[in-house]
Amino acid sequence: MNKLPDKGNLPKEGYPNPTVDFSFVLSSSVRDMKDSLSMLLITLAAMMEKSPPADAEQAKFFSTLEYEAARINGELVQLLSLYQMDEQSLGMHIDEHYVIDVIDEQVARNDTLFNIRKLNIRIECDANLVWYFDNEMIGGVLNNLLVNCVRYGQNQLLVSACIENDFLCISVADDGTGYPESMLEDPSPQVGASFGSSNTRLGLLFARKVLALHRSKKGQGYLVLANNSLLGGGVIKLYLP
Amino acid sequence: MVDSSYGKINALIVDDFGNFRATLNNILMSLGIRSVDSVASGEEALQFCKVRTYDLILCDQNLGKGKSGQQVLEELRVTSNPCRESLFILVSAESSKSIIMAAYDYEPDAYLTKPLNAKVLDQRLSRLFEQHVMLKPTYAARKKGDLHTAIDLCTQLIDKGGRNTNVCQKLLGQLYLQNNDVASAEMLYRTVLNQRELEWAQLGMVKTKIAQGDLLSAQQWLGEILHRNPQCLKAYDFQVEIHREQGNTERMQAVLQTVTDLSPLSILRQQALGDVALQNDNLLIATTALRHAVKLGDNSFLDNAHVHTQFAQAAIKLSTMDEELGRPFLRDALKGVAEIEVKFGESQNIQIQAKLLETQLQVCSGNESRAIALMTAAQAELTKPGGGELLESQIEMIRVLRLLDRMDEAEVQLKALLLENVNNEEALQKLDVLLEEPRSEKNKLMVAEINKKGIAAYKNKDFHIAEAAFNTALQKVPHHIGLRLNYIQTLIDTLKINFDDQISKKIHQSLSKCEASLNKSHVQYPRYHQLQIVYNDLTKAQKNSELNDE
Repeated sequence: MNKLPDKGNLPKEGYPNPTVDFSFVLSSSVRDMKDSLSMLLITLAAMMEKSPPADAEQAKFFSTLEYEAARINGELVQLLSLYQMDEQSLGMHIDEHYVIDVIDEQVARNDTLFNIRKLNIRIECDANLVWYFDNEMIGGVLNNLLVNCVRYGQNQLLVSACIENDFLCISVADDGTGYPESMLEDPSPQVGASFGSSNTRLGLLFARKVLALHRSKKGQGYLVLANNSLLGGGVIKLYLP
Repeated sequence: MVDSSYGKINALIVDDFGNFRATLNNILMSLGIRSVDSVASGEEALQFCKVRTYDLILCDQNLGKGKSGQQVLEELRVTSNPCRESLFILVSAESSKSIIMAAYDYEPDAYLTKPLNAKVLDQRLSRLFEQHVMLKPTYAARKKGDLHTAIDLCTQLIDKGGRNTNVCQKLLGQLYLQNNDVASAEMLYRTVLNQRELEWAQLGMVKTKIAQGDLLSAQQWLGEILHRNPQCLKAYDFQVEIHREQGNTERMQAVLQTVTDLSPLSILRQQALGDVALQNDNLLIATTALRHAVKLGDNSFLDNAHVHTQFAQAAIKLSTMDEELGRPFLRDALKGVAEIEVKFGESQNIQIQAKLLETQLQVCSGNESRAIALMTAAQAELTKPGGGELLESQIEMIRVLRLLDRMDEAEVQLKALLLENVNNEEALQKLDVLLEEPRSEKNKLMVAEINKKGIAAYKNKDFHIAEAAFNTALQKVPHHIGLRLNYIQTLIDTLKINFDDQISKKIHQSLSKCEASLNKSHVQYPRYHQLQIVYNDLTKAQKNSELNDE
């Protein structure tokens, strides 16, 4: 799909500007990629409904396709947001939201993925729990966490939300093998090394940045990684003031 | 999940991508929505919305060529049509923030980001429809103008508590303000702010402070909002409003420059920037903004003839001042003028005015023979019976003559016009832009008052206030020599205290203007000449001191 760029029609100065505006290139490419990805995911879901996988091997193909597409989507959102944070052009829109709405939406987004991976998701959140945050940003963080859990092949996932010491705590627990010791000690990404080798850490960087942008008199948001969760695996807890 | 309540809903899908329309259609059908139309462009969507009432519109933001989703929304909300209050969901592939940055005042009921699936859509729709049904009586009361009932209903909903309290609080604040119950609005916002510093409540405080006439407090709230979120476009809009109220056009321009940098696609902000920069005689900024505004007008119902006219006038002024700077705008300005006749050219006055603007643009482009042909044709129209009534066109004609250096002809025509309108205050006010001394009572009084204020400030060495005063008056009577020289003298004294390139430029520009219109026999010539010498000495001294510094 070849769409006209929004800003491209508007040269800033007297003459049309021939230099490339990277943020514009990035955002319009991401838009196109996500359009395609959208179609890919929808078509995949329709295909599975019309002709369900005949055997385990086919099911695995579907699951790989679905997972990889979901991952690309998460990465794209993250990439664009990190870039905007760097450019300080990312505005936060903090408002009052129902916590369950954000959790439900992200789980719904990955519905097909969880089904084919036979991942059992449990949500524990008071339907009336209300908190203050940017729902789109926190949604993006949560989406990455959920997709990431699929990667490590767990069977169960528990997403829960509660108030701890006057902070909202959203936690995602799994029944996997837990986070490696090195990450628990120093979860910050080492520039250079980790960007290529460990994608999880870029995701963590993104989550940390988003959380830190949530500030109030009580302090700012943060995250905690731990093992031995309720389900036996790792747990990541997002704290929001 | 198929909800029986979806059965009666009419939905419209707007997306330029056929596959996506088909898929979204299937999703809506699977949710039990049976009546779904889909179209590929914003223009088609608006046509459909004229003849049919949709309960739900799912519109993609990026529709390729033509109108964007946001522009469709704006037009639906503002113009009269059966879908003015439909649920409008803006769908985009990017996060919603980039859309918000382009938006002006009209927000959709929800944003949804791709990829979408049935489950996500179902969740969102059921929440939105629940809210829609709940708020319907309140909105209906407001629409009827029965604000008391609307406020009562809204308060009851808040007292009940539950999931839509936040939405109801926002609405209640608006209703209080609409009902001029500023004290209740303030109490509501303060209650919310005691819980948490939320931007919408802070903006609410700004509105209450403006309503109370307490502009200083409003400014303080705005400062706080922008300190936390420099991207808050609404806060800038309020700043512009406050500066407008205070008559501070320089500040207005500065804020509008910031906010158009953040949201270059907002046509109203570009129009406002062009307008105020033109008043401030910042011609390059004005012409650039007006070009954007005209370009954005291609797909917007907010486009109007005035903006096209202003763009042409700004481009002409800029070219006259500096050929190099003006040249890159001339082609677009000619195009913009041609569009006036096609898009808005119903009245004869507008048509002739457009022709005369084209004439001036042709002069600037060096096509004098084309210009003269156009002028002759327009003159024939204007000398017909009734031609004298077409005042705007007559004014442009005098500008054409002046541009072609036919000063005597221009004077004769101007005198005739003044004679014809000697008892017509409204016409005289318009003609004042061409004159050295105002003829209309209103502008005479205004110039006298502001001049007095400016001189008093100048004597007190409040150069900044004096400058602003003279500048305001010059916007109405740009050819007033006495005022202009007062303005220059104030700027020169500012420059003496601290040499600033921007101010130096302003002086230079103003002196050139005087030079163009003053001959040596003019009573004000000696004063002009004196100021010119002082200014030259100052710049020379500055250059020398810069050299010494090196």
